[in-house]
This record gives sequence, structure tokens and C-alpha cells, in this order.
Amino acid sequence: MSFDVLVFLIQQMMFFSIPLLIVALGGMFSERSGVVNIALEGIMIMGAFIGVLFIFFVQNANARLNAQPLLLVALLLAALAGSLIALPHAYASVHMKANQVISGTAINMFAPAFAIYVARMIRTVQQIPFTNQFYIESVPVLGDIPVIGQFLFQKTYLTTYLGFLILAISWILLYKTPFGLRLRACGEHPQAADSVGIGVFKMRYIGVMISGALAGIGGVVFVIPTSITFDATVSGYGFLALAVLIFGQWKPGRILFAAFFFGLMKTISVAYSSIPFLSSLQISGSVYKMIPFIATLVVLAFSSRRSMAPKAVGIPYDKGSR
Amino acid sequence: MKKLLSLLLALTMAFTLVACGGAEEFELALITDYGTIDDGSFNQGSWEGIVQYAEANNISHKYFQPADEAADAYLNAIDLAVQSGAKVIVTPGFMFETSIFIAQDRYPDVKFILLDGSPNNGDWDNYEGKVGDNVVSIFYAEDQSGFLAGYAMVKDGYRNLGYMGGMAVPPVVRFGHGFVQGAEYAAQELGLADGSININYFYTGTFNPAPEIQTRAAAWYNDGVEVIFVAGGGIFYSVVPAAENEGKFVIGVDVDQSPLSDTVITSALKLVTSSVYDSVEAYYNGRFAGGQTLLYEASNMGIGLPMATSKFNSFSQADYDAIFAKIVSGAVVVNNNTDIAPADLPISAVVVNDQN
Repeated sequence: MSFDVLVFLIQQMMFFSIPLLIVALGGMFSERSGVVNIALEGIMIMGAFIGVLFIFFVQNANARLNAQPLLLVALLLAALAGSLIALPHAYASVHMKANQVISGTAINMFAPAFAIYVARMIRTVQQIPFTNQFYIESVPVLGDIPVIGQFLFQKTYLTTYLGFLILAISWILLYKTPFGLRLRACGEHPQAADSVGIGVFKMRYIGVMISGALAGIGGVVFVIPTSITFDATVSGYGFLALAVLIFGQWKPGRILFAAFFFGLMKTISVAYSSIPFLSSLQISGSVYKMIPFIATLVVLAFSSRRSMAPKAVGIPYDKGSR
Repeated sequence: MKKLLSLLLALTMAFTLVACGGAEEFELALITDYGTIDDGSFNQGSWEGIVQYAEANNISHKYFQPADEAADAYLNAIDLAVQSGAKVIVTPGFMFETSIFIAQDRYPDVKFILLDGSPNNGDWDNYEGKVGDNVVSIFYAEDQSGFLAGYAMVKDGYRNLGYMGGMAVPPVVRFGHGFVQGAEYAAQELGLADGSININYFYTGTFNPAPEIQTRAAAWYNDGVEVIFVAGGGIFYSVVPAAENEGKFVIGVDVDQSPLSDTVITSALKLVTSSVYDSVEAYYNGRFAGGQTLLYEASNMGIGLPMATSKFNSFSQADYDAIFAKIVSGAVVVNNNTDIAPADLPISAVVVNDQN
């Protein structure tokens, strides 16, 4: 396989992997605090909607902000919108002790409807177009480094580095701070955590809010490189992120690996024509389409035996029980 | 429980009335298909045809958006339009075939203009279909439109092309087959060697954007494809980012899509607006072509390329007029058989790299 092909595959893989990575890390914060978050899909939609709407307004007002600051502000708004929409989920599953799957599903149903409704109020159509001014042909200086520069610093988006930054921060937060220890304790054994004075409710709220913020960011990160319009959908990537979270065993490092694995399989399944070895095989395109699913089945079959879900995930905390 | 039900019913009715503007009467109606009235494509084109005629002749007109994208909802919308006094109903899209099949008998006094389809019962095992006396069924020669696009590209110096369609429904297939044949014809005219034109060929199976489509397009461009003909509604929005990032080009479809992106070289048009206008005008002049199936093609200016907004290097208006005249006169016949694979078309200079 020639070097250029590999570079191309890695560059394309990032468009799939980075949003999966960010959203799965979001899900990790929620689940390690003990709250199941299947609302990731809906929160992504909400974040993408708010972020893209902001970009649309700025671009149409001709207030040509520089591309990267504009993107950062959009990501910030998406994070806010994401944690806001996650709040009802936190309230229902922490305070109200409701079934956590139900409130998550409610958000998944609400978000696209809300996005379509508001978009139609504003524009009469549900699509929100934007101009992609965020593409980075080559990062100054770093892009000129041989090999590494080509893999990581050419034909890219700022969001790729944001993804790695979030990964690093998540790892430090979870394993190297008192906060991380408390959060994990609440997901494993909330009664024990409570007995040493940790506010389980508070930690769970924080976990869900972080997860909302990251999923919101993930929504924008997902839409920007792959489209020129937002159509109230993220094509099921929120659910895929859940799979990445499980495959990643609720651990940041493994989640990174899982996100790259899924991303690479997705890329190969559609970009096989660029890979000389695969295109010379002359087999039907349908076979390639199956690759991500078969690979997932095989990997999950081997890895699911040692599933290490947080022990108390999905169980509302009740002080009286033990 | 009864109370709750009646309350629900009352609410539903109230909302339906609000949504449809109540007792207002009008003569011309359009029911939208997938997407909305300003989708920049099929619905919008049809609606513009109605508006053009209605405003010039001061006729009341209105459009309906069905509650759902399903045959039942379409039929409900038709019922509603008829109750509001509609005399002519325009339904753009093959999705309306089954609804019109029922509606044409239910409302014999109402005229229907069905685009891209022919009324039938939708049951391919016990197929039943007829174009009622109150229905005109309109088709377009997508194959000729695609032919012009393929011809223009090869004439303009492009050698490595791509075709991405949406679902492999007949109009989409005809666009693709036409594109392949147009490229072949130009190659023969230019005396190019066998195998000198490559066309990557793929149906995405959807009319909606998806990141996988972006990646596939990026892979094609990375392999050397210079321009991709995108015939599938929303998938356009996934191919364009790839074209923008790789500095390559796309060809639009149905309507002139050049306002949507600078990467659009030209668009393979179906003149939806004028076909709707014609049929509405015919109705008011007492010449409604009820029971007929009309084909809009080159000879009646039903298809074409938007030369004014196209960004060709050398392909000129004169070149365009010459090939257009050949299609009109029948000197060039485009194969519009949708049952064969693109590679089975009579081609030699063109190699189809079928990825389906």
C-alpha cells in the first residue's frame, strides 16, 4: 500500500473517528457517574443545530469572523445547548429516579422535531446551509514535517485537535483528580461514596452535564466536515458512539482505539477504490459495505466476555437501599 | 376516557384547520413530495410553474404539505385540496403514483397533473395501472439530459468522470445511462482510443446526505476523478464538501444548482416549471391532455443544460446547439432502457467502473 493512500485513509478516518471519540467520551462521563445516557443522538442533533444555526447567522450577516474563532464560538454554544438539553435527563434520572432509558429516548425524539420546527420558523425549510470555511489545507510549520505532518497536520479541521485535547483532559480528569475518583465511585458503589461524604446527586448531575456538553460539541464536529447543510439528523452516530463506548470498556484509551477502529472500517467500506490491493480484487461493492458490521460483530464477540460496565450504572441512587 | 378522546379529536381538527388555512377557496393546488416547497428542486420547480400562470391570470392557488411522507397522507392532502375547491392538483414525484390511482376515480371532476410517474396500484405482482381521463402523466427524458452533460464534459477536456445517483429508480438510472452514452459519443467524435474515458458509477441508495457519501466522493477525487455528476437530491450536499476540499467539480441535476456551490460546472436540467405551466395553461384553454402521457424531451425543450451559468473551458453555445439539434432530429438516439447495467451499454471508449 503506497504511502499516499495511507495518508488519505487516515485523513478521511478522522472525519468519522473524532466525533465518535468526543461523543463516546461524553457518554463515558455520564455512565461512570452511574447514569445511562442513550440520549447522545438527540443531544448531538441539538448541539449541531445550535452550532450550525449560529454559523449560518454570522455568515449571512456578513460579519465575516475569522473561520477558526467562529468555529470555536459555535462549538461553545453547542456545548451549552448540549448540557442544557441533558439537564431534564439528569433531573428525571437522578432526582425523580425515573427509568433512565425513557428520558433518554424522549430527548432523542424531541431533538430532531425541535430542530425542524425552529428551522422552519426561521427559514421555512428545515435545512440550514453553511459555507465550509473551516478546512485547513495545511497547518503552518507543523504541516511541513515529513510523515507526521502529512498524517496529522494536512487536510484537516481544528476539531481533530480538539478531539485529542478532550481525550487528554478526560483521562487526567478521570484518573488523576479527586473529582474523577469521586465520579467513578458514584458509578460503582454510590452508597459507599455517600458514606464518605460525596454528594452522589451532585456528581451524577455533573456527569450528565459534561456528557451533554461533549455530545453537543460532537454534533458540530460531525456535521462540519461532511456536509454543507444541516438537516436535523446526525445519521445515527450518537448510537454508534454508544457502541464505541461499550467496545471501549468505559475507558478513555480504549475508547480512542475503538473510535479509530470504527472510523477505519467505515472508511475502508466506502473508499476501497483508493486502496490498490482491495480494488484489484474485483469483488462486489456490497461486500465492502458489510466490512464495518462484520468487523464489529467479530470484535464484540471476543471482547464482550470481559465487559466492565460501571456496577451501578442505570440504577437510581436511593439512600435507603444497600 | 371518552372525554379525553373527544378532546383529542377536537384538537386534531383544530390543528388541521389551522395548518390548511380553513375555508379559503382556491382553484390550483400543489401537494409537496419529499422535502419542502423551497427545496431548490422538484417541488419548488413545480410550484413556480403554478405561480407563474396563476399570477399572470389572477387565479387563486395554494400548496399543501402532507403530514407524512406516505401514500395515505398524500391521499388525505388530496382530499383536503378537493374539499377546498381545487380544480387542478399538481403532484410532483413518483411517490404519488398510488395516491393518484385512487384519487382519479374518487374525484372524476378534478384534474390531476402527475410528474415523473404513472398512476398504478403499487402492487408489482398484480399490477394494475391506468391514466384516467382527468389525469395527465408527465415524464422527462432524463437520459437526454444526462447525455448532454456527459457529452459536454468530455468535449470540454475531462477524461476521468464519476456518476453518483440516489436510489436506482428509473429517472435516476436514465440520468446515469445518458451520462455514460454522452461521454462515449463525444469520445468517438474526438477520435479517442478505447478505454480512454473512465466513469466511476454508483447508486447511494438514498436521497439524503450521509458522511459515507462524502468519503466515497473524496476517495474518487483522490483516485483522479475530476468531476462527479450527482443525481440524487440531498446527496448533493455530501459530495460538494469533498469537491470543495479536493478542489474538484460536480454536475448538478434537475434544476440549475450553480447557486449552491462554486464547484458546480453545469446541471442536467428537467424543465419542471415549464411543463407544469404548459399543462395548467392547457386546462384553462380547454385543451387539457387528460388520459395522456406526455414526454418532455429535447424536441419540446423539456430538458437541457443551463449554458448561461455553466463554467466550461471551451464547450461553447454553438457546440451545445449542434448536439442538441442532433438529439432533436433523431440523428443521436439515447438508449433509455433502465433494465440493463451501465457497463452493458454500447460503449468502447468509455470504461464504466461499476461500484454497485
